Amino acid sequence: MAGFERRDFLISSGAALASAGLSSLAFAQEAAPKRGGTLNMLINPEPPVLVSIFQTTGPALVASSKVLEGLLAYDFDLKPKAQLATSWNVSPDGLKYTFTLRQNVKWHDGEPFTSADVAFSIDLLKSIHPRGRSTFANVTRVSTPDARTAVIELSKPAPYLLKALSAGESPIVPKHLYANGDPLTNPHNNAPIGTGPFRFKSWTRGASIVYERNPDYWDAGKPYIDSLVFKVIPDAAARSAAFETGALDLGGENPVPLSDLPRLTQLPQLAVETRGYRFLEPLSEIDFNLDHPILKDVRVRQAIAHAINPQIVQKTIAYGYADISPTPITPASPYHDAKLAPYAFDIANAEKLLDVAGYPRKDGGPRFQLTHDFLPYGDMYRRQADYVKSALARVGIDVTVRSQDLPSFLKRVYADRQFDFTSIGVNTLFDPSVGVQRLYWSKNIRPGVPFSNAPHYSNAQVDTLLESASIETDEKKRVALYQQFQQIVYRDLPILNLVAPRMVTLANRRVRNHTVSAQGLEGNLADVWLSA
Amino acid sequence: MASDSPELASSGHGSAWRRQLAGALFGARRAQTAPYARASRGVWRALLRNPSALAGIVLLTAFIALALCAPHFFPGDPLDMVAAPFEWPGSDPLYRLGTDSLGRDVAAGIAHGTRVSLLIGASAAGIGLVIGTLVGAIGGFFGGVIDDLLVRVTELFQTVPSFLLVIVIVAIGRPSVTVIALAIGIASWPTVARIVRAEFRTLRSSDFVLAARSQGFSDARIIFGEILPNALPPVIVTASVMVASAILIESSLSFLGMGDPNVVTWGGMIGAGRDSLRTAWYLTAVPGAAIVLAVLALNLLGDGLNDALNPRMRERS
Amino acid sequence: MNRRTRFAAIARRTAWQALPTMLAIVVLNFFLLKLMPGDAADVLAGEAGSATVETLQALRAKFGLDQPVLHQLGAYLSHLAHGSLGYSPRYDAPVMQLILSRLPNTLLLMGTALSLAIVAGIVLGAVMAHWAGKWPDRVLSVLALLLYSTPGFWIGLLAIVLFSVHLGWLPSGGDITVGASLHGFAYAADVAKHVLLPAVTLATFFVAIYARLTRAAMLEVKRQDFVRTAHAKGLHPLRVTVRHVLRNALMPLTTMVGIHFGTLLGGAAVTETVFSWPGLGRLALDAVMARDFSVLLGVLLLSSLLVIVANVAVDLLQAWLDPRIV
Repeated sequence: MAGFERRDFLISSGAALASAGLSSLAFAQEAAPKRGGTLNMLINPEPPVLVSIFQTTGPALVASSKVLEGLLAYDFDLKPKAQLATSWNVSPDGLKYTFTLRQNVKWHDGEPFTSADVAFSIDLLKSIHPRGRSTFANVTRVSTPDARTAVIELSKPAPYLLKALSAGESPIVPKHLYANGDPLTNPHNNAPIGTGPFRFKSWTRGASIVYERNPDYWDAGKPYIDSLVFKVIPDAAARSAAFETGALDLGGENPVPLSDLPRLTQLPQLAVETRGYRFLEPLSEIDFNLDHPILKDVRVRQAIAHAINPQIVQKTIAYGYADISPTPITPASPYHDAKLAPYAFDIANAEKLLDVAGYPRKDGGPRFQLTHDFLPYGDMYRRQADYVKSALARVGIDVTVRSQDLPSFLKRVYADRQFDFTSIGVNTLFDPSVGVQRLYWSKNIRPGVPFSNAPHYSNAQVDTLLESASIETDEKKRVALYQQFQQIVYRDLPILNLVAPRMVTLANRRVRNHTVSAQGLEGNLADVWLSA
Repeated sequence: MASDSPELASSGHGSAWRRQLAGALFGARRAQTAPYARASRGVWRALLRNPSALAGIVLLTAFIALALCAPHFFPGDPLDMVAAPFEWPGSDPLYRLGTDSLGRDVAAGIAHGTRVSLLIGASAAGIGLVIGTLVGAIGGFFGGVIDDLLVRVTELFQTVPSFLLVIVIVAIGRPSVTVIALAIGIASWPTVARIVRAEFRTLRSSDFVLAARSQGFSDARIIFGEILPNALPPVIVTASVMVASAILIESSLSFLGMGDPNVVTWGGMIGAGRDSLRTAWYLTAVPGAAIVLAVLALNLLGDGLNDALNPRMRERS
Repeated sequence: MNRRTRFAAIARRTAWQALPTMLAIVVLNFFLLKLMPGDAADVLAGEAGSATVETLQALRAKFGLDQPVLHQLGAYLSHLAHGSLGYSPRYDAPVMQLILSRLPNTLLLMGTALSLAIVAGIVLGAVMAHWAGKWPDRVLSVLALLLYSTPGFWIGLLAIVLFSVHLGWLPSGGDITVGASLHGFAYAADVAKHVLLPAVTLATFFVAIYARLTRAAMLEVKRQDFVRTAHAKGLHPLRVTVRHVLRNALMPLTTMVGIHFGTLLGGAAVTETVFSWPGLGRLALDAVMARDFSVLLGVLLLSSLLVIVANVAVDLLQAWLDPRIV
């Protein structure tokens, strides 16, 4: 095994032993899992499809990962665990990944699960999954020496690949149902057939999705609950009310307004969980349009950075549910450079920088005018935009906030590029080469593609660092490469990174084991049981 | 809430009962008549004698005064974050009505919001009135093919749910005070058009019009100079109701997050405070109360105008 | 002209006018919607949090969004001619199926709301007319006006907080208790529990209008000769009120109800959002946000059909109610 793999293996087995010890302690104190019951879970907004092979919206991942499974599952530290693959092996040069698959697994329609399904699914992911194209870019083929073994062969190393095989990110779909016809219009996208602990029962659009227990699940004895009901509740106040009345037991990705959490957690039956979002790792940032005549000057951007106080964003905008992150790789990641401190909140310095850059105050009036757009997803970016307007007014920049709905925003920022600067949130995902690279890589300046390189930032050194890190198998070297990258973009400031919002899961205390891994509610919930 | 502009009257299919409806809505009093010449003074006196209309006028005047004096009593930008968030009303002597989730002054928001809400309401109603009056006047006066065509166009606009039309127009433009007022105006002109058309159809064959024609007045002069002033009473009544419903529609838009983010409106305050409904319900209650009072004032005024102008209208038909 | 001829004339006139109107609606709305920036592929990509040029292209090709606008209009019209409303990118289902699945919910909600409002409105209006000019009339008038002036979403939110959370009497949203397969009477009771709050919220707006209408019409009719005759004949006052006065007051009321029924699709959008009611109003709102033009056009077409149907129904009803109409 390559160096990092051995170290990982030792750590993960050690961790597994430790967590087994802990959990057995916990088990000794807790009762044994009870069988039966219906779990009422929130799904918001309603997903367009129930299979995440070509749709990566959060709700689709949540819905898909209960019915379809991936090769691997993960613990809280993103260390892989067995799911459809029972053991795996990476060649020393990082170009061959051999997976031994679980035996006696059946699809919900009775057909046996084989390596042919794995090969087909990975090919499909590579062609139609929004991230699959880059995640599996180096994959040359997936060979299947026998029905139990699948080998992924690469042209170049992909150190992040093992982390990308979760049920949500890379679901394994049945070849016998998807091989014929167009996978995008396959009816099983809305009535999935998988290998997972739950079977699809019904979908009443606008209201609910019902899954029922799979009695033939390969992990005998699980799941413990009889059925899983996803409820669609678009109104935030109604969701809070539903948690209070017990109509909802579980909800993830900030199911209720953050300002409502302190009140709800005072109720004896509700509890908050912040673990289980490592696969998403959201980041709130401000993107500058580097082609703008005023904003192309780095001193102006630095002045803006000095005028905005990330602590206010953390405490007021995010209600305290965030960690300050001056770099695009968030503090939770092992690649985060902790030596970089956020730009100091310093109004005087900001004013000086603007004067030096050649934009003095014009006798009592503002220095110049800017338009600020915000991502209309949830409430956070709108409030951040309001704060930006207020904060920049202090240093003499007159900001007009522009509001629009999601498609208009995406078209404006990514297709037409008619923006000055914007408050936006991105998911930095489970590895920087998957989630962060796309924002700073000059080869990802693609008009019309959302969440690409919006500032049009182009730095040859950064490009080289990113490209090297994406194929570097030595973990120490990889960390060093990413730290260098962070230092450069911190200085160049095409994007002002503010905070990493901590997503919250709200649960009724009767729901046990809903968050047992880094996948959180995107896990398969096979371990969940209801104590009441 | 039926966010459509409330249609208090529909007249236009020539059905006897629809005309009866217009009459019924505009009052059932066979009160004393006032000669046309002393019309305006008579209207005013009738209004002032009506206690609810009087209350409406007083309330409306108070709001207008608040709108005008807002910059004086609450200088600065009401969108500034000035204090700690979520302060309850009465807890901070500087901010009597408390602060919102970003630490903005609620009282300043209400005061400055009066301006914007009244402005949007008035301009939206104005746009609707202008378009509707033009369409109704032309159709009602000329009749024939032009009228048929205009009636069809009116019906076309009426079959599209007006709230959806507003949202679509705002999505095409972008949420700003101008676009919102325009959108609401475009969605609400059919009501006025129908009323004006009915009036014109009734009036175009009356004596004073014949007299004007025989004197050789041009069509335009007859329409705008002779008939329109006589057709105004139901339009005026509808105007106040339209302002009220425009304010309600704008509040719905802001509640759904589609308002103008650069100004403070009452609806916007409710929308922003919606997330904290359970803990900081004053953020919803105070602007909501402002909306209710302003709309109530306009409706009371509309009622009063209806009662005051009604006898003359019934006299003529 | 007797009734049957009258009915036939109305039906013929309606059919003649309906077709071009609906066609005009489709064309007008199509161009209006195309003016909105962005398309369904943008929305799907944006919500997914990632996209590539290839996946966007594939999405656009799948839904025909990369064709020129007139081409898309032609395709839509030809679908329409074959009785299909098209396919929804957002919901991945035929539009007809989507709309039909939500139509009963909207009908239930609006039907309940209008019925409640009519009953309450007539009662209130009759009370107000009986004590016209005295304090019950004044108080009720102000109350009616107050209800009319209050934003519906505000009432809705407060109703949820009071009846659902604090008192626990009624559910906070949705149309049925999901997962509990109920049948027969239990099912009906469950639906009734869910529709009550949203219907009452919607009704508060209409009650005011109907009450005032009834009051005005009753006052108008009370003074007429045939009422005095009825009284003079010695008929019981209540019978006079109900059979003669009220029946004639129903005319303007039915006109108003007809208008409201015709606008029932868009008007409930906000209430449906607050109560998570799976109706057509919310579907249309979501369709605008998701640039799902097929769904939106389908809803708008249906709405125009509903207006036409409502107009006809009201005309027929009034012809029946009042034999004087010829």
